[in-house]
Amino acid sequence: MGPMKELAGRLTALDPDAGAAVRVIAYFDSLAESRAGLEALVRGAAVLAGCPARLVDPERRVHVRVETDGTRRDTGTPPDPAWPAVRLSPDGTAMLWLERDGDRAGTAGAVSGPASTARGGGGDAEPGGPAATVLDPRPAQTAAPGQVPTPSTLSVVDAVILERAAGAVRLVLDRTRGRAPADDPALVETLLDATAPEPARLHAARRLGLDPTAPARALAPLNGRPRVVPAGPEAVPLGGGHAAADAAARPRASQIPSQGQPADVATAQATSRARTGPASAPAPPVPGRHTAPPESRLPAGRLGVGPAVPVLELPRSWAEARTALRFTAEGTPQDPGPRVVHAEELGGIALLAGIVEPGTEPPPDVRALETAAAITPWLSATLHAVVSTASLRAASAEINVHHSTLQDRLAHAEHLLGWPIRTPQGRLRLQLALTMRRLGRG
Amino acid sequence: MTHVPPPFDPELAAALELIKDMISPGLTLDEIAEVRQGPGIQMLAELDLTMGGTFEVEDRRVPGPEGEPDISLLICRPAAPETAGPRPVLYHVHGGGMVIGNNRVGVDVPLAWAQALDAVVVSVEYRLAPEHPHPAPVEDVYAGLLWTADHAAELGADPERIVIAGASAGGGLCAALALLTRDRKGPQPIGQVLMCPMLDDRNDSPSTYQMAGLGVWDRTANETGWTALLGSRRGGPDVPAYAAPARAEDLTGLPPAFLDVGSAETFRDEVVAYASRIWQAGGMAELHVWPGGFHGFDGFAPQAAVSQAARSAHLSWLRRLLGV
Repeated sequence: MGPMKELAGRLTALDPDAGAAVRVIAYFDSLAESRAGLEALVRGAAVLAGCPARLVDPERRVHVRVETDGTRRDTGTPPDPAWPAVRLSPDGTAMLWLERDGDRAGTAGAVSGPASTARGGGGDAEPGGPAATVLDPRPAQTAAPGQVPTPSTLSVVDAVILERAAGAVRLVLDRTRGRAPADDPALVETLLDATAPEPARLHAARRLGLDPTAPARALAPLNGRPRVVPAGPEAVPLGGGHAAADAAARPRASQIPSQGQPADVATAQATSRARTGPASAPAPPVPGRHTAPPESRLPAGRLGVGPAVPVLELPRSWAEARTALRFTAEGTPQDPGPRVVHAEELGGIALLAGIVEPGTEPPPDVRALETAAAITPWLSATLHAVVSTASLRAASAEINVHHSTLQDRLAHAEHLLGWPIRTPQGRLRLQLALTMRRLGRG
Repeated sequence: MTHVPPPFDPELAAALELIKDMISPGLTLDEIAEVRQGPGIQMLAELDLTMGGTFEVEDRRVPGPEGEPDISLLICRPAAPETAGPRPVLYHVHGGGMVIGNNRVGVDVPLAWAQALDAVVVSVEYRLAPEHPHPAPVEDVYAGLLWTADHAAELGADPERIVIAGASAGGGLCAALALLTRDRKGPQPIGQVLMCPMLDDRNDSPSTYQMAGLGVWDRTANETGWTALLGSRRGGPDVPAYAAPARAEDLTGLPPAFLDVGSAETFRDEVVAYASRIWQAGGMAELHVWPGGFHGFDGFAPQAAVSQAARSAHLSWLRRLLGV
């Protein structure tokens, strides 16, 4: 139709026969460069491959299907595990498929076993048989992210299309539903503001990549702005790592399965949910262990962690996170204590925060502590070790002194403080005094 | 005036990447012969004009302008008409910058309309510049319309319901045809579809400068096409409106017009201006400017979202015009 149409003629520009791998790459590079959306990318895959293409990301509720002629036509029918596909993240369920039907489905050969098992569990599902009722997350012809799928039945052009399209889709998902918006302080502020209208808060949650129907928690760093994270199933280790009690009660960071590196909320959510699937064997709930993002995702430094709540109750999680922050310490010999405190672990201790306000007259036991610490450099670390470990032997190991040395120190401390600290009652009084001391400093 | 061009639509920019080896924005007189022999013409010959058996196809030689050679019409009639009565006619004029192409070029577009509208398609072959300068092309186009109107009954068609349609040079020729039929009291089309039409030989609008060297059919190619048609008269004071419709001083009394054009192409400003002048003259026009569209974008990349939008706009206008 154009004056130059004759040059291309009905050699439609997007004819896959004319498009070798180089053209496919140029096409998706151009789309990515001009920040094309998901539908344009899926359409590119469909048009270049000459068969319908679909993108499904259950975690992000993305479902885009485009026909060969470029028209958008979503469907509820499940994908065929025999179709060429590429996974969009290592642990996620997001997939890009080329709906390439034909004899290929019957030629998967050696790789058809796992697919059958994954589909029906009984191993009797045939490629041409009834459609699987569950989206199969591990089809036979699935490539790992960033890799060209290599089954013998997959053509080179299809492989390049999948690889390039998936790369561009990942960028769009990160840009539009992941990392970038998760860092928007205005959205977080809205989400944590109880006076903001509920629709505005739900909108902010979605923009931040949070599932509005799933629990989340607020984080209050000492230095830095508020954060909101999905409440996942992993336990969060306390920071510092110097307290033997902490180490005993919680998995160390190294015990937490590695997470991959993306730092966006949505990916953390997807990852944590993926682990709740039947393939993993979740441990029974442990009292005192809370579900929260892994340590690698927490802001550095002192941190109060709010309880897991529905997203509309995040203002409460935020208030409790700020309270929990007041119970944190630097974790140094001068200021021993946990750098990360979970509101859910405080229990009745949290009530102290309402009684002891910064700037008010400290209670007599706190005054006694301050006086004693001022003239006794080892006092704070020693007393913290006593109240935070299960035995005096563990306490002496914690601060690296001989057991008899510890006994001498405690006798001296009892003299300075004026109450016994090796009895259960005295230990509780000491623990309360140490806690109120942190609260009073503000 | 800035010469920074509007960006191409993302999908269209990607499509340009695919065709850049075959398409260059410019065209010189020296290159015309080579382009006429290009691979596109062969591909066109393979186009299934029956659209899967929907149409009966015939090439018919009919009289040309008085004292001139015969012309050829491609006639596509529904093989199994939905109605017994006379059908509308979509009279198609192909594009090609006045210098290349034949009556197969772009005919798939009116054929698709005819499928939806139960219409007859007639696509006219006209003589090309520079061998046949103005007025040969437009007079051939006029002669084909005369024959079609006179022989409508033979085609199972309604001479009172002829819509003229074309893209690029074909759009420009349709605009000129509407002026000719008005002035000569010839057969009166009931509508004109001017897709990215080539209207103005002066080639000096802001969009011609903005898009120089970019996309499809840039300022250089445009100068080549107009010079082939008009020779040294191009851009001068005595270019007739039947050659370059933008030169017409009177745009009253024209059939309702559909015009569309991409925002990122040479013809943008002349098409927008032409639509405005139709309204100013008290006429009817529907204008679409498709953001990021290069010249002929919906033909080169019909799958793109913006192309789908353009094509549904064409059909929507035709349905309203024809009441079907």
